Amino acid sequence: MTHEFSYHAPGSLDEALALLSEYGEKAAVLSGGTDLLVNIRAGLSRPEYVIDIKKIPELKALSYDPEDGLHIGACVTVNELLEYEPIAESFAVLYAAGAELATHQLRHRATPVGNIVTASPCGDMSSPLLCLEAEVVIVSQNSTRRVALREFITGVKTTVLAPTEIVKEIFVPPTYAGAQAGYQKLKRIKGHDLGVVAVALVKHNGSFRIGINSAAPTPLLLPDFAAGTPVEEVQKAAAKAISPIDDVRCTKEYRAFMVGVYIERLMKEVGA
Amino acid sequence: MKRVQFTINGDLYEREIHEHRTLLHVLREEIGLTGTKEGCGAGECGACTIIMNGVPINACLVLAVEADGTEIETVEGESKSGRLSPVQEAFDRHHAVQCGFCTPGMLMTIKDLLQRYPKPSREQIIEGIEGNFCRCTGYEQIIEAVLDATGQLEEKGEIKHA
Amino acid sequence: MLEQIPAAELRYVGKRTPRIDAKEKLTGQATYVSDMVLSGMLYARVKTSPHARARIVSINTEKARKLPGVRAVVIGEELDYRVGLYVVDKAILARNEVRHYGEAVAAVAADSIEIAQKAVDLIDVEYEVLKPVLHPLDALKDDAPLVHPNLGEYDYMEAAFTPKPGTNIANHTKLRKGDVEKAFEEAEWTIEREYTNPSVQHVPMETHVAIVKWGYDDEVTIWSSAQSPFTLRNLFCTAFRLPHRNVRVIVPHVGGGFGGKAGIGIEPLVAVLSKKAGGAPVKLTATREQEFSLLPCRSQLTYRIKTGVSKDGKILGQKMTMYWDSGAYADYAVNVTRASGYSAGGPYEIPNAQVDAYTIYTNKPFGTAYRGFGHVEFHWGLERHMDLIARAIGMDPLEFRKRNALREGSTSLTGEKIRANTGSILKCLEAAESAVGYGTLTEAEKARQEKTGMKIGKAVVGLHKAPAMPPFTATAVILRMNEDSTVTATLSLTDYGQGTYTSIAQMIAERLGFPIQKVKIAFESDTDHDPYDWQTVASKGLLLSGNAAILAAEDLLKNAYEIAAQALRCQVVDLDHDAEKIFIRHHPESSVTFRQLAIGYCYPNGNSIGGPLIGVGRYIAQGLTHLDKDTGQGLPALDWTYGAHGMIVEVDEHTGEYNVLKVASVFDVGKVINPDAVRGQAIGGMLQGLGTATCEGYIYDQEGHLLNPSFTDNKIPTAKDLPLEVESISVETPQIDGPYGARGVGEHSMIAVAAALGNALQNATGAQITHMPLRFEDVWRAIQRREPVDNWITKSPYGSCRSAPEVQRHQQQEC
Ligand code: FES
Ligand code: FES
Repeated sequence: MTHEFSYHAPGSLDEALALLSEYGEKAAVLSGGTDLLVNIRAGLSRPEYVIDIKKIPELKALSYDPEDGLHIGACVTVNELLEYEPIAESFAVLYAAGAELATHQLRHRATPVGNIVTASPCGDMSSPLLCLEAEVVIVSQNSTRRVALREFITGVKTTVLAPTEIVKEIFVPPTYAGAQAGYQKLKRIKGHDLGVVAVALVKHNGSFRIGINSAAPTPLLLPDFAAGTPVEEVQKAAAKAISPIDDVRCTKEYRAFMVGVYIERLMKEVGA
Repeated sequence: MKRVQFTINGDLYEREIHEHRTLLHVLREEIGLTGTKEGCGAGECGACTIIMNGVPINACLVLAVEADGTEIETVEGESKSGRLSPVQEAFDRHHAVQCGFCTPGMLMTIKDLLQRYPKPSREQIIEGIEGNFCRCTGYEQIIEAVLDATGQLEEKGEIKHA
Repeated sequence: MLEQIPAAELRYVGKRTPRIDAKEKLTGQATYVSDMVLSGMLYARVKTSPHARARIVSINTEKARKLPGVRAVVIGEELDYRVGLYVVDKAILARNEVRHYGEAVAAVAADSIEIAQKAVDLIDVEYEVLKPVLHPLDALKDDAPLVHPNLGEYDYMEAAFTPKPGTNIANHTKLRKGDVEKAFEEAEWTIEREYTNPSVQHVPMETHVAIVKWGYDDEVTIWSSAQSPFTLRNLFCTAFRLPHRNVRVIVPHVGGGFGGKAGIGIEPLVAVLSKKAGGAPVKLTATREQEFSLLPCRSQLTYRIKTGVSKDGKILGQKMTMYWDSGAYADYAVNVTRASGYSAGGPYEIPNAQVDAYTIYTNKPFGTAYRGFGHVEFHWGLERHMDLIARAIGMDPLEFRKRNALREGSTSLTGEKIRANTGSILKCLEAAESAVGYGTLTEAEKARQEKTGMKIGKAVVGLHKAPAMPPFTATAVILRMNEDSTVTATLSLTDYGQGTYTSIAQMIAERLGFPIQKVKIAFESDTDHDPYDWQTVASKGLLLSGNAAILAAEDLLKNAYEIAAQALRCQVVDLDHDAEKIFIRHHPESSVTFRQLAIGYCYPNGNSIGGPLIGVGRYIAQGLTHLDKDTGQGLPALDWTYGAHGMIVEVDEHTGEYNVLKVASVFDVGKVINPDAVRGQAIGGMLQGLGTATCEGYIYDQEGHLLNPSFTDNKIPTAKDLPLEVESISVETPQIDGPYGARGVGEHSMIAVAAALGNALQNATGAQITHMPLRFEDVWRAIQRREPVDNWITKSPYGSCRSAPEVQRHQQQEC
């Protein structure tokens, strides 16, 4: 990095929140650093203070209980998530999407929470978590609030998070535990790439739901479909919901087309 | 400036470092371990791969201060005994090195891979080294070297004559 | 001619031999310039232009200069030097006008990289933005703005190039053979098409980096990640009007080059910073992003081919027009134009030919040498064209190629006679044909189609290339015997990964009859210590330096024999040697060891003769000529390496998604010196070619901003992108003047891979694609017969994104 800043690694959440409330916009929260440090290097982010939250024990929490649901702490890495047995067993869509996120090395640093907080339209964790009705647990010095993920991300790289707040964890209710699911992602090479467009499908109790990335300013969740809904109908609903753009990665035409293709494939694969 | 301590390849280092500098920068320019390379500085190429606390990471996306108290392994540790490791030897036999710039990162990635899969299949090797760009070799001889190092190469990659 | 020894008697040549540099690299101990730190060294950063074309109204460096720790700030105005390889058209820093996005406008040297960057950020540049000319065909229009209004005043190499002052044409290469119009009249069919490729980036894993120390009395030392120490020195001395003796270029290990580090790059800029900082060494490391636009790329090409074919499928005549997009400076692009011009027809016999190849200035990052030197680009068009012709006339594409392949007795485009020993394109095509089972599907392949629902297609393409170099290209090797009779060779051909040094060590060991462990090739090249070599480019290193190495070994032996003859009191003709000693053939017990001779022979009484043993080998390309500027006739080729790729792909006809199942690459290398090295070149180059075929390419908006200058949006192949199966096959038709019969193969593996993919995709689906790269979307569009994407430089009249502003906004916001 050629941009200079000072580094703080508070040992408790209180301490971290106090720092944030003191520094406000001048501070940036560091967890995995795979977005923050890239942005600082590119000059897109120029914080004066970097608050590393990895020394805060409770942010490392990762737990699943069939009654209580899944808690993914802010500093749980993508690889830790993938290695946590209940994920492959009960949250197939998270597993599939997590395994597609960047490279093995990067997944040792990148966190699902960071992926959500970055709120990029192509974040791999977003549409799967939308399908699972995840909630974002946000803390600040004097409050804790829970926001549905669908409301958390407000636009391209914007969220409801205030500069003095920290996302403590993502909570996934047990509702969809054990649901059959799949994730399909269009990449420009077979190796690691961000999602040019991606579709997640989760099947549950006689219905199924579809989440889509990189096809609108925010990740999308389509309204539930009854099992047996014809593919064309689902594709049509998706086509209506998305608003893809032309960019260096793809045209909107092909993005829209591939959303349809992935829907068909996932419906077949998952048996929706 | 912050004082940090870490172990690199078994040796303890203590340094006063700038807080904004990456671990890659400090390893290469302040500690002088230049085996680990920088290919992009942005987490895309894998040239900077090292092992920190037992897992492979991109050292260009870690602040040196974050490494305080960690155990780090770099390419320089691989032949500390004075002998090449079995993987290094196989790389040598198979010309898995051309310009050599991706090699240190590649070796660390493979070290981790073999800890996870002592006898990785071709697919597992490919999956494992996906995060390390090599612009020279086309990867094939690297894959063969790993297969050979783990005793799985049936036929040696001899050149064919028409 | 040089050392044609029956294979049975060879000990090292042709045998598997580990690379001599592998251990150093495997242990992380090999030193690259990027690893180097000198005492008192300053760090440099560069301010680059955000515009493609703009007048520099003012540059304010005051704040930057006042920043503590800043030791030098330079801007173009104060630098009255021009640099150029063939056309001297480039300032060290933009003066008055910027000509491409990413061009350097100011630079800083400071105590730390942080301070240097801060200073760069504090430099204010005021621009008057001008309308850029982006597409080469636009640049040819009468009302096009001139990228170089002063073209007529520039120096250029007159023997080879023809710039057209008052236009944007940096060079026009012409070739005329026979009567092409008459051939078209006689032809049963004439087929005309246009093929395009975008600019791409070499992407060596080590970015460009240089350290320069401008010492007292203009003694300059340059450490650079460079391919060509002597050419770098020569161009540097010309630009700064310095005697060659003053400048020393040192090249340690280099982290890849692929042509992008040939010639001269950032060194002059670093030099002026050092000079201004009072002689402190200054280091500049290009960022990965700068690698895409501050440093050169590979030129875009628009290639128009018109071919007349007889009833029986013979090419009668071919008209070839190439528009090479040079970008803002001529650099190597003019020579790419020339070299592609004279081999534009590929490995086929074309009795009547006309080539017009233009190098055209535009306001884009400039083009330079890249593995294949134009041949990757034009073979895309040519080898697609061969397939399209064959389909049009109802003939199998491979059969059409074979029918027209160059063979003994053919003449090349420049009038060169092809001989049996030139090499065999036919054998290459046939080997590729059988390696991929061309023309049919195996049972397994049919079953795979059933299972996947994808269509399998196959293709075989041919290729050729000769080194693109001046007719007087020369090199030398010096071989010194050490006190213990080991030998050390020095040369300034650089080995930046190709493995040539290992092959040369094998040849020296072979010729000396020494175990290879006794042979060292000094890795660092140094113009003060090593003999001259023109450049490490063109796949000529093995042949020229290999010959020089053999001659050096012979010279060393000759010198050793002479002293041995005196020591043993016999005649040289009666002597022979083994790895340890020289002996009298008929009295083998009468001998003297190399160790006794190494620094001079000492008689028992102390009298001594000889002196340190040194062998010198000099070699210069033989029998080449300049080309006639009007007809392109002459002898430009040191050797021709022929090759072929066979490819199998499977395609989803519905979506355009595809997988490359197999690539078999075949080259007539003359003689394999090091099997693993040949294989490494074959597969490595093939995948690099596949990268440009599938995903790489510069994308600009309407204003000429480069939209994808990083790995985020300029992908290169990963291990997962390797075809499921790769095969490397060698044909050996000895090169008579090659060392042990060998010829070069470094670049060839990358050539025509894209066309193999395009042809195989067409074979599977009928998709007719004439532009690169072939992304899934492009295949999908072609199958659907939709308009190709407009946002690629190759398709749009402005070479840009239709939705440029949106894209930019999106780019900034997106991950
Ligand atoms: S240098 Fe760290 S990933 Fe490229
Ligand atoms: S050997 Fe050059 S990048 Fe891998």
